[in-house]
Amino acid sequence: MTWLQRNKIPAGTALVVLVAAYAFYFANPNIAVSMFSNAWFLAVPLVLGAMVGVIGERSGVVNIGIEGQMLVGAFAGFFAAAATQSVFIGVIAGALSGIAMGAFLAFTTVKGQLDQIIAGVVINIVATGITSFYYESGKTIPRGLPNFDVPLLSKIPLIGPVFFSDGPIALFALVIVIVLHFLLFKTRWGLRTRAVGEYPSAADTAGINVIALRLFNVTMAGTLAGIAGAYLSMEATSTFERGMSSGRGFLALAILIFGAWRPLRALAAALFFGFMSASASQLQASNVVNIPQQFINLLPYVLTLVVLAAAAGRVRAPGAVGQPFVKGD
Amino acid sequence: MKAKPFLVAAPAALALVLAGCGGSTGDNSSDGSSAAPKDCSSTEVFCIGLVTDTGSVDDKNFNQAAWEGVKALEGDGVQTKYIETKDAKDYANNLKQFTDQKYDAIVTVGFLMAEATVTAAKSNPNIKFIGVDQFQDDKATAPNVTGLIFPEANAGYAAGYMAGLMTKTNKLGIVLGAEIPPTQAYAKGYEQGSKASNPKSSVAKVYHPAGDNAFSDSPWGAGEAKKMLAQGADFIFGAGGGTGNGALGEAAKTSGAGSSIFCIGVDVDQWDTVPEAHPCLVTSAEKKLTKGTTDLLTQAKDGSIKGGNFVGDTGLAPFHDFDSKIPADVKTKVADIVKQLEDGTLKVA
Repeated sequence: MTWLQRNKIPAGTALVVLVAAYAFYFANPNIAVSMFSNAWFLAVPLVLGAMVGVIGERSGVVNIGIEGQMLVGAFAGFFAAAATQSVFIGVIAGALSGIAMGAFLAFTTVKGQLDQIIAGVVINIVATGITSFYYESGKTIPRGLPNFDVPLLSKIPLIGPVFFSDGPIALFALVIVIVLHFLLFKTRWGLRTRAVGEYPSAADTAGINVIALRLFNVTMAGTLAGIAGAYLSMEATSTFERGMSSGRGFLALAILIFGAWRPLRALAAALFFGFMSASASQLQASNVVNIPQQFINLLPYVLTLVVLAAAAGRVRAPGAVGQPFVKGD
Repeated sequence: MKAKPFLVAAPAALALVLAGCGGSTGDNSSDGSSAAPKDCSSTEVFCIGLVTDTGSVDDKNFNQAAWEGVKALEGDGVQTKYIETKDAKDYANNLKQFTDQKYDAIVTVGFLMAEATVTAAKSNPNIKFIGVDQFQDDKATAPNVTGLIFPEANAGYAAGYMAGLMTKTNKLGIVLGAEIPPTQAYAKGYEQGSKASNPKSSVAKVYHPAGDNAFSDSPWGAGEAKKMLAQGADFIFGAGGGTGNGALGEAAKTSGAGSSIFCIGVDVDQWDTVPEAHPCLVTSAEKKLTKGTTDLLTQAKDGSIKGGNFVGDTGLAPFHDFDSKIPADVKTKVADIVKQLEDGTLKVA
């Protein structure tokens, strides 16, 4: 009972949403599945991006370079796959490029105490520069990552076709959220990470190596950004476009705040964004309501603002976020 | 807090270096050798410069099509040269390289360069400017600028007409970039064309909601195509740069691609530009850029070119691998419609 008492609002919201989703499903299964699939399809990179932010900010490092890390991941992944004609190698290359970008952020801000916002902006600018400059048109990859059905789970009505009949990275995103939630709140690494992000000098006194932990976390978080990029260029599509991250890295930051720096809530927030976008295009395409499409397209953002305004008062950022740690300072 | 200034300086310098890569140039002297370029200010030689939109001159897209149109004029007394724009910030600088050397005609490629073109034209009244895909507004143009424009509605009409004839589910989809006049015209033509050949058909139409990346958001386009296909559409028209290409790629991945699911490309023959769409790409609603550029440059050379807008031709690209799979009666009907649109007997309202 105590868990339920502590989590009345999130648990209640989840229940209401689930009931509403199934009501929609039984009213019109075809439209419901296609819309929820679309929502998840759009949410995957946002979820992965938000997880990069969760790890970084929980350890005290703001990462506004997620957008750039994602773009480089998409670029490196796609062109590695095109060169080797292997999507698998492409995904690995995407993840490795993410690590490189993560390491850049980690070493400049944690070791060098460069302003974290500046480092993030540099990542975004450099990413746009490199990926535009070295872009070559006409390259192809053998075929994108295939979709597959997860045994049993894909048979569940609604949830099955939406979450368990997608490609490997979409499934990975779902798993990593749960794993990260567990790691962050149930393991020693998680406790230390949170301590380092909340009150680094106390953590330092307790014998935690703040610098080393921050370096490790921020660098490894880059992997997820790289994989999010690989999702864009090899799972969602089979192509690379200049600027194809299209602000998803920044949206991921909004989702991170909306999700109160918690993996599971960030997942819910990303799904909410995805569903709002799916609803807007559905209203546009079906022509059921005769209002200008600009107005319909505005709805997700307006609704998001409303929900954010309602939720924002309740969330609090990790205490030491944005501040470099200097031992003995 | 002790900041280390060199750590700010190093990445910032790197960013500047990357951002500063202005553009690369290439020239094609008519004799093929790298002979010293002739002085463009003299009347003996007619110099044509082309400034690409961000992208290379062999992009199998607008830049390449326009450059081929320029190259068609190569011969006695014509010197051609291109500058590849690497960043939208460099439009004006790249144009200046040609105007400083007193080129006779300058071709600029793409909607985005419209403003820079008119600005350059105003300060260089003796140079003829040709703006490919740049509509010239009477109030904001210069007399020495000619906009090469295309009736997108006609191209969309032909595509919609063909889709209407071939659809089995009577549901068609169109995935567009931002809602701007060219995309609106494609959508309007597509809707009317499909209604004309198949009154029972309906079109699901989506414009990209955001302004900034509306033409490079291929994952969004893919997601929309996926949704439309799941709701029964069997023809996807991708009309919005990278966003539309994402939709084509998604249709190509769907089971039934090429037998019951088809897609249509846009602007140029996308068989060449979007190879991943081959499984479903029956044709493309094409703007005949090469011919339009050549026509205008010929006029510029003999002095008959007029300011304002010049309307180029549109049509459908070759069917490539689908040539044998498309029924003969569909082909004849579509060819007939394209012809009627071209000679003006059929007008898209």
